[in-house]
Amino acid sequence: MGTTDSSIVDVARGRPGLLFVALLGGLLLADLAAKLAGVGLGPIGGAVSVDRLGSNLWNGVVIGLVIGLAGIGLSMTYSILSFANFSHGDLVSAGAFTGWGVAFLIAGFGDVPVRALLTVRDAGNASPGDIGAHILSTPGAILLGLIAAFVVTALLAVALDRAFYKPMRDRDGIALLIASIGAALIVRYLLQFGYGSDRRGVTASVEQSNLAFGPLGVSVNAHELTILVAAVGLMLAMHAMLQHTKLGTAMRAMADNKDLALITGIPAERVVTATWIIGGGLAGASGYLYVLLRGTIQFDFGWLLLLLIFAAVILGGIGSVYGAIVGGLVIGVVFTTSTIWIPSDFNQAAAFAVMILMLLLRPEGLFGGVSTA
Amino acid sequence: MTADAADADGATSTEPATESDPDAGGNPDADVTAGTTHALDGDVILRLRDLDAGYGDLQILSDIVLDVAGEEYVTIVGPNGAGKSTVMKTVFGLTTHMGGTVEFNGEPIHGLAPERIIREGIGFVPQNDNVFPGLSVRENLEMGAYILDEVPEDQIETIYDRFPILRERSDQKAGTLSGGQRQMVAMGRALMLDPDLLLLDEPSAGLAPDLVSDMFDRIDRINDSGTAVLMVEQNATEALRRCDRGYVLVNGGNRYTDRGDVLLADEDVRRDFLGG
Repeated sequence: MGTTDSSIVDVARGRPGLLFVALLGGLLLADLAAKLAGVGLGPIGGAVSVDRLGSNLWNGVVIGLVIGLAGIGLSMTYSILSFANFSHGDLVSAGAFTGWGVAFLIAGFGDVPVRALLTVRDAGNASPGDIGAHILSTPGAILLGLIAAFVVTALLAVALDRAFYKPMRDRDGIALLIASIGAALIVRYLLQFGYGSDRRGVTASVEQSNLAFGPLGVSVNAHELTILVAAVGLMLAMHAMLQHTKLGTAMRAMADNKDLALITGIPAERVVTATWIIGGGLAGASGYLYVLLRGTIQFDFGWLLLLLIFAAVILGGIGSVYGAIVGGLVIGVVFTTSTIWIPSDFNQAAAFAVMILMLLLRPEGLFGGVSTA
Repeated sequence: MTADAADADGATSTEPATESDPDAGGNPDADVTAGTTHALDGDVILRLRDLDAGYGDLQILSDIVLDVAGEEYVTIVGPNGAGKSTVMKTVFGLTTHMGGTVEFNGEPIHGLAPERIIREGIGFVPQNDNVFPGLSVRENLEMGAYILDEVPEDQIETIYDRFPILRERSDQKAGTLSGGQRQMVAMGRALMLDPDLLLLDEPSAGLAPDLVSDMFDRIDRINDSGTAVLMVEQNATEALRRCDRGYVLVNGGNRYTDRGDVLLADEDVRRDFLGG
């Protein structure tokens, strides 16, 4: 900022927006402290127990991991292919449906008609309890479903690339963005055609699924722990791939400078295909995990989630994989803790408010200019 | 075709002592304007004939004739907009080919993708944005050898020996380096496959004045170790002083060609292109 060490006043004068946000944040923190102490300080919201704050934070981290996982692929395709892929949300849905189809098939085979299993209970036949898909009762089915979600969505992403994006490789980002909206509609309504449009329950409920944890007494359930392990595992694998493999280095190189990558002899099409496989696969896995968290599925949930994914990616600095992860966590925590002050119907608005503030104060995002690395 | 290539190879391996000795003769009667003073055929590794090229529908180059012999140091000079960089990009398959031929080691390479041209033995250092800023120095070099299955550790060592500062900065992101160091990374990357011919587009551009002659010294040493160099330079006087032969391009076509020192001594060239 140019000011070496002068004073907070100078900084505030230079960036009034930052001062405003700092004041607002301080006010909210003070209010939160008062609420925790049981003193009614602020005009909105009631008292807050430590337990509630703890579970808000925990829920925020879990949903943030899922959003961040989905955001990785969106950020990668943005930095390597230079367009905002609006079909990413429907890749999330597609992964959830195909993954849960496989998980159901394994968990409920023999007890329930195969068609009902593969269509993830289209038309409401068989109850989730009959199928009994749960990490504690059928861990193998849940794990294989996750793998299937990754693989099938990766293949779908590559197929979409071959059909729509590859013929348009040299076109500008706007043309590709519009094409991706078309691809999104195709995928979404194919899902509706195949799986039906009703929202239905997916996971079975198992007793002793809830584990009380830690000094805060936060209630953690087995599916949340599964998501934590799976998402962090996939993120670490992603990090290792990006930083320590030739392919990952080539991806970062292409994100840095496509023209130079071309004259360096990096095979662009192969890197692009790998980008779709990894980005699409992670989108599918995140959709699968999102359903594991929520317990319900609907053909357009990925599309509705896409706005939050975009918010996370923009917050983290679009194009940066690590920014997407951090952005996802911030969006997730804001999403859940904002219910302390505002009704939960509005918590998406809080997440977007944070994104808008970020765009105003630091348009390049948290990890802006670091592009993938 | 294969016989031709074998011929050219045989010639390059037996020729090195005869060519590229600027002290030999000092022939002041060379025909500066002829535009045909080319190296001997058997020795030529890069041969451009009647080359037309440009971008999309826009033609920039017309009837370019240019040769580079094995281990030769050739520069292209000329006013802004003469198409100097376009020649380099055309050799590397980055422009629209509109006519004529580009041959490398006796094989036509016009129309090939850059990825193929690298395999033929040509390295290219573009003028701007010639490193991957988010990658470490070492990763930049590794990318230069992407088409190989294994990272050639010995070649990385050779490049570190040539540019010792890069060994010290091995793990540093290239984007944090100074302009001169970036230029070394860019050259190192292009040298990773030990090319027969190195294309350098304005290597002195953007360098601090005191680093420019250092950069030219490095290019001399690259050439001395057996790599032919084709260079485009704004700094025409210095470039012609250093090179074996020079080409003066004007409006997308050949104007003069001769040995560097001869061009440097020529009054027309001095007046029109070297500012007096």
